[in-house]
Amino acid sequence: MTTAVTETYTIPVGPLHVALEEPMYFRIDVHGETVARVDINAGHVHRGIEYLTTKRTMLQNVVLTERICSLCSNSHPETFAMAAERIAGIEIPERAALLRVVAAEVKRIASNLFNVALLAHLVGYETLFMHVMQVREIAQDIKETVFGNRMDLGAICIGGVRYDLDEKTTGFLVGSLDRLVPEIEAIVQTYRTNGSILGRTRDVGVLTREQAIACGVVGPVARASGVAYDVRAVAPYAAYDRLPLEVHVLTDGDVWSRAMIRLAEALTAIDLVRACLRDLPDGPTRLAETPDIPPGQAIAKSEAPRGELIYYLKTNDEPRPERVKWRVPTFMNWDALRFMLAGAKLADIAIIVNSIDPCVSCTER
Amino acid sequence: MNVLSLLGRNLRHGPYTEPFPFGPAPTAERFRGRVVFDATTCEGCKICERVCPAGAIKFSKTKDGLAFALWHNSCVFCGNCEFHCPTGSVHQTTDWHLAHAQARKYALVELGLLPNQICSACGATALATAPSLRGVTPPLSPEETVTLKSMCPKCRAKFLKARRAKP
Repeated sequence: MTTAVTETYTIPVGPLHVALEEPMYFRIDVHGETVARVDINAGHVHRGIEYLTTKRTMLQNVVLTERICSLCSNSHPETFAMAAERIAGIEIPERAALLRVVAAEVKRIASNLFNVALLAHLVGYETLFMHVMQVREIAQDIKETVFGNRMDLGAICIGGVRYDLDEKTTGFLVGSLDRLVPEIEAIVQTYRTNGSILGRTRDVGVLTREQAIACGVVGPVARASGVAYDVRAVAPYAAYDRLPLEVHVLTDGDVWSRAMIRLAEALTAIDLVRACLRDLPDGPTRLAETPDIPPGQAIAKSEAPRGELIYYLKTNDEPRPERVKWRVPTFMNWDALRFMLAGAKLADIAIIVNSIDPCVSCTER
Repeated sequence: MNVLSLLGRNLRHGPYTEPFPFGPAPTAERFRGRVVFDATTCEGCKICERVCPAGAIKFSKTKDGLAFALWHNSCVFCGNCEFHCPTGSVHQTTDWHLAHAQARKYALVELGLLPNQICSACGATALATAPSLRGVTPPLSPEETVTLKSMCPKCRAKFLKARRAKP
């Protein structure tokens, strides 16, 4: 062919460094600089953790599931423990239920701020990126001081929680949250008004409500497209049924809406932690004895920072589970990237991919 | 948030990062770091070995007794061992200074030994584990604990049975 030069080019995006430093490979056909077709290729970091869980005992799996992913590292063992507790018919103590909420919401604050910071980085606004990361550092300090690690809290055990709050850690937690609120409110204001942010995120990567429902997206991605679905509200677990939970919904479905949902949820998370600390009763934080899990099967679900996380657990007479299977929020959300990326500009691909807050290590385990 | 006011604030504050290794790096009291093992309080129940998800803890029988080894290069610092340990013999410290040269990788092991002893009652050889005190009523006096610790498991059971039988 000497005359007609094909108008469509195929370019690879990834597998490294699309948004997060996690491998995800896109084969993108472009017309000029407009995306025409997207192929998503997964499986670069498959580690076989689902198989490994069947080679570990229930008590070891609480730790193993925590290491599936670092950003939602509390949601995995929590949901795993919930499934085990459902099989054994265990009710966790009230203090444990509230402490589980504290751990989950502290993780949510840090996770959501991390994603919003990365958005600023991808927009090219490095000052804002570093500022948000510095604000997130307050949440990191909470994790290190209260739980003993910056990412893997080790907060969950089957039948309750592993940690407890005393006067000192409660004081630190309250003080840190008081510092976080004005900082996050200022960040919200910046994302609401800053021209660089708005210019790169408004009406970019739009996912309509119909598309959101068709793809079955979950978490902030769904709520930014007008789908008011939050596991904490529709199927309350731990202590969420007795806490003042506000489900934030926006209708535009663009990158900006998803960022605003995450910021709003970080503020709500602070309210939830405060409510927990106010209502925290005395009492045990776990069952007196480490429970045996009888044969059976159960499904449990929770709202991870990225959305609905579902665990299926099947046990038998062995100390090791027969099958553990989880469905992570990113698995549902990354399919919607086809709609978000359709017609997008080449330069917006990273911003749009980041807007679903992809967690590839969860999805490919 | 005004970038200029942020800049001013950051100028006043100075660097947010820790100056380590040229200055101190504050460590949280609950930080989960290097694991230490206390053989004198260990009951030898081996629950830490069973719950360790990384397989970092190994008990092995030697001619001197029961040897404990925790490999810090396999350890994931989850704290499951400490959490499940009934006596607090396995304990995580706040020490995170674990960086080391490749040549020292086999040296980062926490070792302990539950030695063999001759039972003070029957003369059999048995491990000098700490006696399990949970559920013993009334609680053992310190002298009774020392006596109990010097015995083999069979004589310990006899001792406790005789103690229960006492009016």
